[in-house]
Amino acid sequence: MSENIIEVENLKKHFPIMGGVLLRQVAAVHAVDGVSFSIKRGETLGLVGESGCGKTTLGRTILRLIEPTAGRVRYLGRNIFDLKRNELQKLRLEMAMIFQDPYQSLNPRMTIADIVGEPLDIHRLAKGAEKEKRVMDSMEKVGLAPFHLYRYPHEFSGGQKQRVAIARALAGNPKFLVADEPVSSLDVSVRAQILNLLNDLQEEYGFTYLYISHDLSTVKHMCDRVAVMYLGEIVELGPVNEIYDNPIHPYTEALMSAIPVPGKRSSRIILKGSVPTPIDPPPGCRFNPRCNYREPRCAKDNPQLIEVKKGHFVACLSKK
Amino acid sequence: MSESVLKINDLTVYYYIPEGVVKAVDGVNFEIGKEEALGLVGESGCGKSTVALSIPRLIRTPGKIVGGEIWFEGENLLAKSEAEMRKIRGGRISMVFQHPGASMNPVFTIGSQIAEAIKLHQDVQKSEIRKKVEEILYKVGIPSPEQRMNDYPHEYSGGMLQRAMIAMSLSCNPELLIADEPTTSLDVTIQAQILELMKKLRKDFGASILLIGHDLGVISELCDKVAVMYAGKNVEYADISTIFKNPKHPYTIALLKSIPRLDVDVERLNIIRGTVPRLINPPSGCRFHPRCEHVMEICSKQEPPLVEVEKGHRVACHLYTSNGKQNQPI
Repeated sequence: MSENIIEVENLKKHFPIMGGVLLRQVAAVHAVDGVSFSIKRGETLGLVGESGCGKTTLGRTILRLIEPTAGRVRYLGRNIFDLKRNELQKLRLEMAMIFQDPYQSLNPRMTIADIVGEPLDIHRLAKGAEKEKRVMDSMEKVGLAPFHLYRYPHEFSGGQKQRVAIARALAGNPKFLVADEPVSSLDVSVRAQILNLLNDLQEEYGFTYLYISHDLSTVKHMCDRVAVMYLGEIVELGPVNEIYDNPIHPYTEALMSAIPVPGKRSSRIILKGSVPTPIDPPPGCRFNPRCNYREPRCAKDNPQLIEVKKGHFVACLSKK
Repeated sequence: MSESVLKINDLTVYYYIPEGVVKAVDGVNFEIGKEEALGLVGESGCGKSTVALSIPRLIRTPGKIVGGEIWFEGENLLAKSEAEMRKIRGGRISMVFQHPGASMNPVFTIGSQIAEAIKLHQDVQKSEIRKKVEEILYKVGIPSPEQRMNDYPHEYSGGMLQRAMIAMSLSCNPELLIADEPTTSLDVTIQAQILELMKKLRKDFGASILLIGHDLGVISELCDKVAVMYAGKNVEYADISTIFKNPKHPYTIALLKSIPRLDVDVERLNIIRGTVPRLINPPSGCRFHPRCEHVMEICSKQEPPLVEVEKGHRVACHLYTSNGKQNQPI
């Protein structure tokens, strides 16, 4: 149970910006900038942050859908960036991704049977009747009836489409799933269905999830531990109850107080300004221009993630 | 407080498309008192934005307001001429939309767009307009407005654009402000800033507010009353605290239970089975009956009227009508 399935070490991804007459690199977007953490087998790690903080880039780099600028990602001890093409392809079966928008992640010209069976074709896992059986298995796991098999994506509602996307991710019998905002494009009343499905699947098959979202209420419901990102860096990481009840980093604190709770009018911490551009992030602590606890050294020194309590890490200079 | 600024009676709006008639809004009733804020809640496609657009009569073909009355300060807006409406729009009734980036014209400066609204609706000297724009931008918290008013929309961030939109809509001291999901496209910390701003401005300007949204948390921050919509109907109407403490309609109850909450821990979320129906061919009787846990025989046959169950708390459900009571209590 406590074995690490994923270990991320000092991962960086900078996207170059080309410019000038010769189209040389003039700057870079520091989307992910030195991130380290690990995910234990069977747990759900939540990755939260505002738009543009690098959560999606991080999720994709962990699966090597994007090549990193620097750093390592170990899957069961092996660095996935050292793998050869055919080795990586095998690994793709064990790691899958569920995307945000099922309206875009399903090919409109393929039937559901083709979509869910595609991983089996690509990895030459099954053919003919065997393939059909495995596709049916996947469909059953996500609660879709077999008569849907030969329908096209446009015939499905948003929630059903997301079920198809999950069935496709399950077809290769994965161990580790990255779910990137899996419910944010769905209706409120349908979200609960998908969240419960993800929980049931985890219970039954022991999946490990990296759950990426900006919706802090669903993260609290889904996750065991939470990592908070700001401008490409993790600023706080810890067990879900610690992070929500006892946030230490000033950004996490403001983020938590900003969530409107139905039926309550809360006093909240209002942050100044908005998130700076990741092309030219502020020196020192990246949060310092907006921070209420700012000290002079915050603009100079870059804080490291330090364990303040067992399993609770914070990167902040002014608040211990 | 008792006199109403806006009163909507049986508003019915249909969209006529090749496949048939979409009954987007089908008999919606509510009222907003002076300086009151009403939240209109519902999922996507339930007709809440159509209601918002109907009030200033901005529904375009294939949509059409086919029935009902919209009373604004004692005048029926549906009986007004287009020229009269144009004076009201942006003046006495103004709107804030969901995507601030899409509702600004990218080739004019922020300042000139706000100035346009002021020129159209107010009798202000040309020389004073600039000062007025500066003043209103300052009020909504744009830093150094005398410079930033010369910026184009792309030079603003999302939160600042929404502030500018709010500035524009408040520039003519409207009696009614309609805000259609004003914070949906913004991040939580920016959303908090905008909500705080709207709360403050509500006090300063004394406008009545119709806030449309799907996030009950956001609604409860700002509103006094809530109208819950489902598939083109309003199913419940009550005080904000009543909706959360004592919801009556099975849809409202199920919706509240299906949202993960920060303050309550639950093992499993409650599920509303099925999906929102298509409004080309809505279910007969009560539109929620195919998904309802308490469905009775009458529900598929007869439409439940909106009845008052307590003072100021109205529900459209057969569980609370005389027809339904003999069948089954909850």
